[in-house]
Amino acid sequence: MAATRGTPLDRIMRPVHRWVWADADRRLRKLLAFAQVETDGGRDIVRAAEVTPDPLLRRLYLEHAIDELRHGDLFRARGTALLRARRTRGATLLAGNPLPGGHGLDDLRIDGEPDHRLLAFLHVAEKAAASRFTIYRELVDDDPETRAIFEHILRDEVFHMNYTYTQLTRVAPGRYRRHIWHARATRLWNRYLRIAAAVAGLFGGAVLSAIYFIVLPPFAWLAKRAERRETPGWTARADGSPSRSQY
Amino acid sequence: MKILGLSAHYHDSAAALVVDGVPVCAVQEERLSRRKHDASFPAAAIDWCLEQARLEPGDLDAVVFYERSMLKFDRILTSALRAFPRSWRSFPAAIRNTLGEKVWVRGIIASHLGVPREKILFTDHHASHAAAAFLTAPTERAAILTADGVGEWATLTAGHGVRRADGGTAITLAREIRFPHSLGMLYSTFTAYLGFAVNEGEYKVMGLAAYGRPTMVDRIGKLLRRTPDGAFALAQEYFEFQTTASRSYSSKFVDLFGPPRDPHEPIDLESADGRRFADCAASVQRVLEDVLVDIARALHRETGLPDLCFGGGVALNGVANARVLAESGFERVFVPPAPGDAGCALGAALYADRIYFHNPDREVPDHPFWGPAVSGDELARAAREDGLRVHELDDAALVDAVAAELAAGRIVGWMEGACEFGPRALGHRSILAAPHARETRDRLNRDIKFREEFRPFAPVVPIEAADRFFDLPPGGARLARFMSGVFPVRAEWRSRLAAVTHVDGSARVQALERGMAPRLHALLEAYGRRTGIPVLLNTSFNVAGEPIVARALEGYSTFRRGGIDLLVGGSTVVAKGAIAPAETAKENVGWWSESAAESGGV
Repeated sequence: MAATRGTPLDRIMRPVHRWVWADADRRLRKLLAFAQVETDGGRDIVRAAEVTPDPLLRRLYLEHAIDELRHGDLFRARGTALLRARRTRGATLLAGNPLPGGHGLDDLRIDGEPDHRLLAFLHVAEKAAASRFTIYRELVDDDPETRAIFEHILRDEVFHMNYTYTQLTRVAPGRYRRHIWHARATRLWNRYLRIAAAVAGLFGGAVLSAIYFIVLPPFAWLAKRAERRETPGWTARADGSPSRSQY
Repeated sequence: MKILGLSAHYHDSAAALVVDGVPVCAVQEERLSRRKHDASFPAAAIDWCLEQARLEPGDLDAVVFYERSMLKFDRILTSALRAFPRSWRSFPAAIRNTLGEKVWVRGIIASHLGVPREKILFTDHHASHAAAAFLTAPTERAAILTADGVGEWATLTAGHGVRRADGGTAITLAREIRFPHSLGMLYSTFTAYLGFAVNEGEYKVMGLAAYGRPTMVDRIGKLLRRTPDGAFALAQEYFEFQTTASRSYSSKFVDLFGPPRDPHEPIDLESADGRRFADCAASVQRVLEDVLVDIARALHRETGLPDLCFGGGVALNGVANARVLAESGFERVFVPPAPGDAGCALGAALYADRIYFHNPDREVPDHPFWGPAVSGDELARAAREDGLRVHELDDAALVDAVAAELAAGRIVGWMEGACEFGPRALGHRSILAAPHARETRDRLNRDIKFREEFRPFAPVVPIEAADRFFDLPPGGARLARFMSGVFPVRAEWRSRLAAVTHVDGSARVQALERGMAPRLHALLEAYGRRTGIPVLLNTSFNVAGEPIVARALEGYSTFRRGGIDLLVGGSTVVAKGAIAPAETAKENVGWWSESAAESGGV
């Protein structure tokens, strides 16, 4: 069963995962990031329960959402406990999160989406998460409480993988395989978009930084000079009536 | 004339529709998208408003955006230049963020709605706040004060509004305080320092303040100095909101107040750090109140008017509002139900109607219920499908039954009619409970709302009985109409209103007029007949991190997930306790099936 061994990619990435989990600060950050991702995912699934016309799916989505929200609480509680136990407190520990998060639901649209698409997406996402969490569980052998959380969550993930699959075969009996492959392709495409956006962001940032240092200094000098002339306090106000101007 | 007002792109996007001078609907995007404080372009809110009024985009005479986006860009760029070279990290992100979408708002509106660009208007951010406060208030002439973090350049404005006998309307905002000097930014900086989310955790700072003593007012005096003309200025060396998006306070700020609170660390009021944080909150709250009272007092002297209309995010601070009412000289203070940026959508539409198109003034209904309506049938269907007990009752029977349940200690999810526009649940999307025992408050915080234990809950009381339980000053009932003021609970009732009495003996009370929410008013009376106290705990119908519910199924999913005992939607009452298939869903579906998971390469 692939889900309990970890996928080949996760096994290849094992040294990276080991590096992440070996350090107390990174572990703590990872747990708190998971807390956020699981909670956000839970809310998305709550929304799915609210919009589906299928009563059985509504009940299952709700059950699933409650699990995800509970996972968020478990991760948050563990992260907070580790935070309290930390001896050295660095102000930058929680400023931003450079590490990869959990499985999450990415930028999944819920409203207006058919159930088969969501079920396929959830199935693929849960399977990926279970694979990843299996590796994590092994890497936190030195931390029984964190390991217990992963074990608990993995049991839930089995249910999630199972019901999403069986329900997908129910709502789309002839096309469920295609939907799953489509969900996989969509996940892959979303990853590509994220990477592409990050790379584009780097280039854009570099160009804007260059403009900042090359073009802006004289304007900055003028802006500072104007600022020095301003006196704080009340200023007479121009007419703010509606107009077609954005200025 | 049909005018659509929009606010978007910073926090709490919203759309509001004004037809022939009167609002017909308004809703925040978050209520439809279900993403709290959703700041995206309010496509769903626009579509809902048009559908509600049975209009096509082509029927609109104007679409009004609540601020001037290029002027805002001017402020962002100028601030970056002034902070050169310290702003080098934030500059690329700020430019990308602004140029990515925010400055192209005219094109976005035109392409989404398909309306000609000439129909798209812009108002000043604070003019929208002012209009939302003045044009929705039942007053002929009033002083106007607006205060928030920042709009385009203004952070606080003062002026007055007049409804003339000939039907004309004038709003004059004569002066302003400009960025970076901002009361809202000062409060938000402390919000961030105290480990709460900016634009969301300001309520928590206000709640926490009651546990502390204002021992750091002198230190805050180094951050904020008063100017000779009665305004104020922030000492920029203590702040970083101009130079970076990641932190709003500087190292010098930390040197002055100590290490910031870690957001994940609970506040332990027994610890030295916990007390320090509470004192910080109490101190910034005191400074905010003092400055607002001074400015309002000067405005009162200047205008000589008895009424003040107060708008902007700072007007959500009920403790400060109560002090302004008590100490500024104004007899009445009007705070709209949505004083923040969402309310600007309505303000912008009304402003355009009265000022740009010179339409005669029309009385605006004095209630907050402009959002989607709840369907009892939808709720009944879902509950029956899940095997829950469902009752359909007429109003009288429903009110009696719910009053009995509340008196027995049950917690009730209450949905009726159109949902509120604005951040407060004012009787149409509320969680109601008996207000007597502290345990109820703890249970709500722990099992239903999942929020910090120091946060208080608000009471709702019929306006006729408000004075008996709460020490409302003259004009207090008006401020309490939309839960905009915090007032003392009378000492003799505090022990019997323990769930809604804050640690300092105060409560953010809603004084309910029968005409505004007749059924809730009847429920309060019925509860009063049973218990002798016609007061209920009233908190917004949501859980932490989620928007207030709008539609029946959103209330239902919240009911199923938490500790709410009874759910009311229209004339439908749903109770927990019967067969609930969701609890056995795992067993029904079966557990792990290797063949299912492995087949098809899944």
